[in-house]
Amino acid sequence: MAAHNHRYTILMMGNPNVGKSALFNRLTGANAVVSNYPGTTVDVTRGFLRKERLEYEIIDVPGAYSLEARDAAEEVAVRILGGHPDAVVMVVLDATRVERGLYLALEVMEHGNPLFVALNMIDAAREREVSVDVATLQEILGVPVVPTSAVRGEGMLDLVEAVHRAQPPDIAAIEARAFGEVKCPAGERPLSIAGTAGGVPE
Amino acid sequence: MQKRLSELEFSESGTVRDIFASRHELNCLGVRVRKHLTMITRQPIKGPVVVAVDDMEVAMGLETARCVIVEVDRP
Amino acid sequence: MSISPSRRWELVDCIARRTVSAGACRPTLGGVLGELTVKPLTGIPTALAVLYAFWSVFGSFAGALVTDGFMVRIFDGYWLPWMQAVWPDPGSVHYFLFVGDPAAETCFEAFGMLTSGLFVSFGVVLPAILVFYLMMTLLEDSGYLPRLAVLMDTLLHKIGLHGYAIVPAILGLGCNVPAVTATRTLETRKQRFIMMTLLALFIPCGAQLGIMLQAVPDTVGWVLLYLLIGFVVFGFALSRVIPGSNPEILIDVPPYRWPQRTNVAKKLWNKTRGFLTNAVPFVMLGILIVNVLYLTGFIGWLADLAAPLFVTWFGVPKETVGPLLAAFLRKDLAVAQLSTIPMTPYQMITAVVLISIYFPCVATFAMMVREGPRQLLAAMGVLAVVVMIYGGLIHAVGILLGVA
Repeated sequence: MAAHNHRYTILMMGNPNVGKSALFNRLTGANAVVSNYPGTTVDVTRGFLRKERLEYEIIDVPGAYSLEARDAAEEVAVRILGGHPDAVVMVVLDATRVERGLYLALEVMEHGNPLFVALNMIDAAREREVSVDVATLQEILGVPVVPTSAVRGEGMLDLVEAVHRAQPPDIAAIEARAFGEVKCPAGERPLSIAGTAGGVPE
Repeated sequence: MQKRLSELEFSESGTVRDIFASRHELNCLGVRVRKHLTMITRQPIKGPVVVAVDDMEVAMGLETARCVIVEVDRP
Repeated sequence: MSISPSRRWELVDCIARRTVSAGACRPTLGGVLGELTVKPLTGIPTALAVLYAFWSVFGSFAGALVTDGFMVRIFDGYWLPWMQAVWPDPGSVHYFLFVGDPAAETCFEAFGMLTSGLFVSFGVVLPAILVFYLMMTLLEDSGYLPRLAVLMDTLLHKIGLHGYAIVPAILGLGCNVPAVTATRTLETRKQRFIMMTLLALFIPCGAQLGIMLQAVPDTVGWVLLYLLIGFVVFGFALSRVIPGSNPEILIDVPPYRWPQRTNVAKKLWNKTRGFLTNAVPFVMLGILIVNVLYLTGFIGWLADLAAPLFVTWFGVPKETVGPLLAAFLRKDLAVAQLSTIPMTPYQMITAVVLISIYFPCVATFAMMVREGPRQLLAAMGVLAVVVMIYGGLIHAVGILLGVA
């Protein structure tokens, strides 16, 4: 389905359970179901946002870890992305687990749709003292990155505004920028973050 | 000492050296070579195991865990 | 352009290292609870306690407090006698359709649209599903379901599913409609097919559970036991018969979060609105259709036709044909109607189990159609076979126990 005049189609894509549906509800005032387990949204939900005489059709795509679909819900995600070559993609990352979401983000970026990033759950990240350098992330990716909290309603206006600044990403340039300044010798660095997930002291 | 992830004892931790199956799926959930992980629990009667990687918990079947080779941390 | 997966992972690492820094990791209440609820020694007792609490709150609050303490008194004490007194011509067709039996003393027996229809909808099912969905929302939003999936995986993997199938199963206890779509989180066609078929057969919905507690309270335990046994036995059989693979569980276990009050309220409101707009008309329509079929003599004719099957094979009275027809529209309505037919306790158990398994309700059926015609046809085939075998088996058990 092609975007009409004065009308943007926005695909919300990201890992399962990063708060896509909560953001979707905030943006559209819709009633998508929001829960705390991966795979709450298995079907496509559409909603509309009208602002300053512009109409945005927002599509809440089921969560996926990668575009190599593993289950039927992920297949839906791949199909939707393939079926909307003109849509703007909003990649939703969980600020507390950015690394996990980046793989899908890069895969989606390779599709070439204009794109921007919502760095969601920023409140939870602050609470857990995880800090994300938004400026550097934005610089490396070359697309707008907007910190948001769907639960608290933070960053919603910035998000709508970012639609207009969305850029088709350039993977070669991202690689150059990412590897360029700092050498990343594979194999030497400890990748782990201290402590266990539950935070129980060892 | 290297062990299969399925043999890791409760609260033992180690660094992933190799993954022989479901590599892509495991990678997507954060279980990757050179990652550090901690065993949270092993369910009885060949049930799944739960490990912590970075700040996240991942549950996987025992067969999958057998295909993950871990260099165990010295206590 | 695209790059290779390993190159992509290198890029991910590099970007993450340059932009993310993790703070000190402190033990949190959520983290400690998270571990306790997933370790078998503490987790299994917790799971049992959670399910028991779920059930007893459901029974005591919805059943005993609201329905018995309040709704039954209003409907049987005031509404029914008033309708019977005010509505003209007790012998007429419209009296039969709207008020039902002029001699009825309870709203279950009357079976008119404005008596039983309103009572079943608002007196019994609405309070039941409200309480049910409130508790289910807490389970969903807190992050408990993935941990329950890990605990259940050991068992479910042996019947050809994996632990994550507990999500559609639990959603199905609320309503099978969203549960059918939730089967999409399962990885293979085989797993999805088994789960969808088991849902249609053995998972009673919240509305049905609510009315069972009210109309046939003594049989509930037995019915649930038979459904559970059926779930396990036929799940095991299907996993042997159906080709395809059954990959192991591999899931993310999210941290616990506090349920947001606004989100809980919104979900409850959505469920209530869905009930008012979708379920209530079906209850009314169901009563209308069943009553019309009674009046035209169709149900009597069908009952005589099906009598050999029902009486000799299933061991239930031929009159249960009527409720079985109604069960296609609403299972709650069917159980309400069943409760007024005189039969032995064991026959009642068999009949309620049959109502649960014989066919999915029309709303669930519509969802199954969406998941693909081949899947649906195969599911219907399995369903017919299972109903015949299991119905006969339950009768046989009754004969062996000397109660049927």
